[in-house]
Amino acid sequence: MMRWLAHEWRLVCRSRLCLWALVLLCLLSAVSLVSGAREMARQQAHIARLAALHERDVQAVASRFAKGGDAGYAAYYTFYDTQDPPSSAAFLALGLRDVAPYVLRVRALGLQAQLYEGETFNPELALAGRFDFAFVLIYLAPLFIIALLHDLVSGERQSGRLRMLLAMPGAGTRLWLRRAGLRTALAIASLALPLLAAAAVLPIGMAALAGALAVVVVYAVFWGTVCVLVAVRPWSSTAHATALMGCWVVLTLVLPTLAQMAITRNIPVGQGVDLMLAQRQNVHDAWDQPRDATMQRFFKTHPEWKDTAALPVQFHWKWYYAFQQLGDESVASEVSAYRSGLALRQHWTERLGWLLPGVAAQGALHGLARSDLPAQLRYQERIVAFHREMREFYYPYVFNERPFGPEDFARRPRFSAVELAPSLPLAPLVAMLVWVLCLGGLCARALKRVQASA
Amino acid sequence: MSRAVTRIAREEWRLMLRDRVAVLGLALLTVLTLVASLTAWESRRAADAERARYQAQANQEFEAQPDRHPHRMVHYGHFVFRPLNPLAAFDAGIDVYTGHTLFLEGHRQNSANFGDVRQSSLLLRFGQLTPAFVLQVLAPLLLVFLGHASLARERESGTLRILLAQGVRPGQIVRGKLLALAGAAALALLPAALALVWMGALSQPLRSAALLAGHALWLLLWALAVVGLSALFARRRDALLCLLALWTVTVILVPRLAADTAAYAHGLPTRLESDIAVARDLAAMGDSHNPDDPYFAGFRQKVLAQYGVARVEDLPVNYKGLLGMEGERMTSELFNRYAADSFDQQGRQSAWMDRAGLISPLLALRRLSMATAGTDLASYRRFLEQGEHYRYTLIQSLNRLQAQKIRYADDRNPTRQNRVDRTHWHDIAHFQYLPATPAAVLQSVLPAAATLLAWLAALLALLAFSARRLGRSTR
Repeated sequence: MMRWLAHEWRLVCRSRLCLWALVLLCLLSAVSLVSGAREMARQQAHIARLAALHERDVQAVASRFAKGGDAGYAAYYTFYDTQDPPSSAAFLALGLRDVAPYVLRVRALGLQAQLYEGETFNPELALAGRFDFAFVLIYLAPLFIIALLHDLVSGERQSGRLRMLLAMPGAGTRLWLRRAGLRTALAIASLALPLLAAAAVLPIGMAALAGALAVVVVYAVFWGTVCVLVAVRPWSSTAHATALMGCWVVLTLVLPTLAQMAITRNIPVGQGVDLMLAQRQNVHDAWDQPRDATMQRFFKTHPEWKDTAALPVQFHWKWYYAFQQLGDESVASEVSAYRSGLALRQHWTERLGWLLPGVAAQGALHGLARSDLPAQLRYQERIVAFHREMREFYYPYVFNERPFGPEDFARRPRFSAVELAPSLPLAPLVAMLVWVLCLGGLCARALKRVQASA
Repeated sequence: MSRAVTRIAREEWRLMLRDRVAVLGLALLTVLTLVASLTAWESRRAADAERARYQAQANQEFEAQPDRHPHRMVHYGHFVFRPLNPLAAFDAGIDVYTGHTLFLEGHRQNSANFGDVRQSSLLLRFGQLTPAFVLQVLAPLLLVFLGHASLARERESGTLRILLAQGVRPGQIVRGKLLALAGAAALALLPAALALVWMGALSQPLRSAALLAGHALWLLLWALAVVGLSALFARRRDALLCLLALWTVTVILVPRLAADTAAYAHGLPTRLESDIAVARDLAAMGDSHNPDDPYFAGFRQKVLAQYGVARVEDLPVNYKGLLGMEGERMTSELFNRYAADSFDQQGRQSAWMDRAGLISPLLALRRLSMATAGTDLASYRRFLEQGEHYRYTLIQSLNRLQAQKIRYADDRNPTRQNRVDRTHWHDIAHFQYLPATPAAVLQSVLPAAATLLAWLAALLALLAFSARRLGRSTR
């Protein structure tokens, strides 16, 4: 056991291409982890700095109510900050965090007009994509594995050693498996060692680390089996490299873009714009409708305020907040259609993972990092829940016309950011494992038929 | 061109035609280009039609508003939708990464929302299938497969020595191989060129020509690199691995690294931070609700002096409307300053990417391609700035209506005439996005074109060097 290992290791060391490929892969994966960690630290620092800035902004509003006042004004002018801090594994895969806001301010007005506000980012950088560990694993690692394994058999054939190797006792399937296994294992180590080093420094949880390592191993083994399957064909090493590169292009560039196009076309999500247009229309129509009719509609869904004092002749905040909330409620069906459209897009992407291991690996890593579309939707759900809390805080003051003083203001609800636990990528891992097992079986059969002549 | 060169090229073509993999690769690329052209054209058309429909709906809803106090309309606001250039079907650029729905209202500057990137799973990050994607990413790879062996093979099998012994000059051999590969590149470009003619040659001939020229130059660069490097290697396998590594670095690795370093070198403030800064600056300037505020007291004095009256009640216009105009002017100035700062910072990030074009010409090509297709940061900024200009004009004309049509005494009193007639909503002109002129666009891509030409010069030098080595090494 140790003998053949030492022997194969010597062979790897003697090949400059192999050594350089491994060192480079290790370096790239380390750089990607540093880059991801740096970006997450930047986002965390932003969140901390903005909390202080926002507090000063709120205090400026609070100073207007130092002597007590109308809660309606306070609700109108006070913004509340919400945060979506990066999870402890977010440095692995930045996902949507470079294009979606991770801080958002809302106030007690209609939420549907505030919820979809975007972040300032340079779309040209987003187009290029970020250099994170997910990128190194999904795009670059297969290329390195191809470089290490494409001439597994043809290299020996072209150097004239193949006939001798095949004639040796104990050679055959086991020889190739050892050699391919060691090289794949070395590629895995080049990816995993920087990851383990990062885990030693950064507080990525055990579950996320184990999940990430599993994704690395299974995805790398998948590409190892693809390489072996191609490498045992009786072709030249150039033809092997061409075929493997073709596989990589089809699996990671062509098919995902085709699938993305199909999903976008077949699951339209225009409801987002629809609900925004409808909500604004409904909110502003209230100004031209009888105010009592609006209140009656509001009491239907919120009977707890039915017995409060009738509206005075002049403007009253409770009417204002009632029609703001009615505006949100009037588009509830569009909102749920929009959200289920997005969920359906995500669902089909996950299904696609059963066909395309690259897509499965991407979904798995971003699920661990909680930087995918479901995580964004969760953040929005939390904002919706917080907005409800905020309304419920102000309504007793507004509807019962209770005075609103500094102590009341100090009791206002705060958004508490929670860190989502990593979603363990069982389905994508199983999908990749199924591929590995199928291809592994084919490999075992094909390896028996390796022949000396081309 | 000498006969020897064309004969070598013809021979190389014959070999390519006999190679099933080469023919299959070229056929696949052609099919993919056609699929990409059709689907990208269709989805661009659908997206543009949808945005036009939404724009018509928003215009119609705005005009259908009943008689209202103008300030209600300030808050009702308007929606504008970003139209898509027909050439976006060729290169979608940043389209899916940017919002297309912009809500315009008083006192605020909103973001453009509902970009595809936040409405799709991460699958979107694998890229979009457009003719530009095929030409920029996949076509070079095909050229590598077709041409890596062109000279390494001759050297490996010893035929190079025979050719040279027959009196063919190394330069002729290299030029012949280049001609053959450039011919294959032209073939790969052909379907995309036809798609381009179909998409925009009639409506935007200059832009289409620039797009085609840029991509032709890009493929030529690869033909040069492939032949040049193939001449330097003794074994075809080494040539292939080296070229594949070059492709990976140029097309896959450097753009990402450049984006990452650009984001780090020129960090952007978050939107929330700018909003807070605007509120802070505004509070420092004055509070229009406070009757004793020095800034607005001064403004009142100025207005009173201008009209020669002593009290705001005696003004011939509604003071509240004037106050609204002044407030809007102040907030808009602040918003514009912060927006311009942010865009300038993004411009610095993009310039950083452009400089990385010296390492990877793909970045220079992308700049040229996105700018001419109207799908780059500059055209997005153009849309947002025109949207903001439209917003400002709209809000100020509503404020002016308030100043001129509603009496100060009636302004807040619902029992009096404090609404203006709905016909005024029809007087507001519709939003019309004006794209940059072709001349301005072409001028803006000159640096990118120069970068590509510098690469051309460098690779021509590589080719000359390779030809010289070819002659020497076999002597």
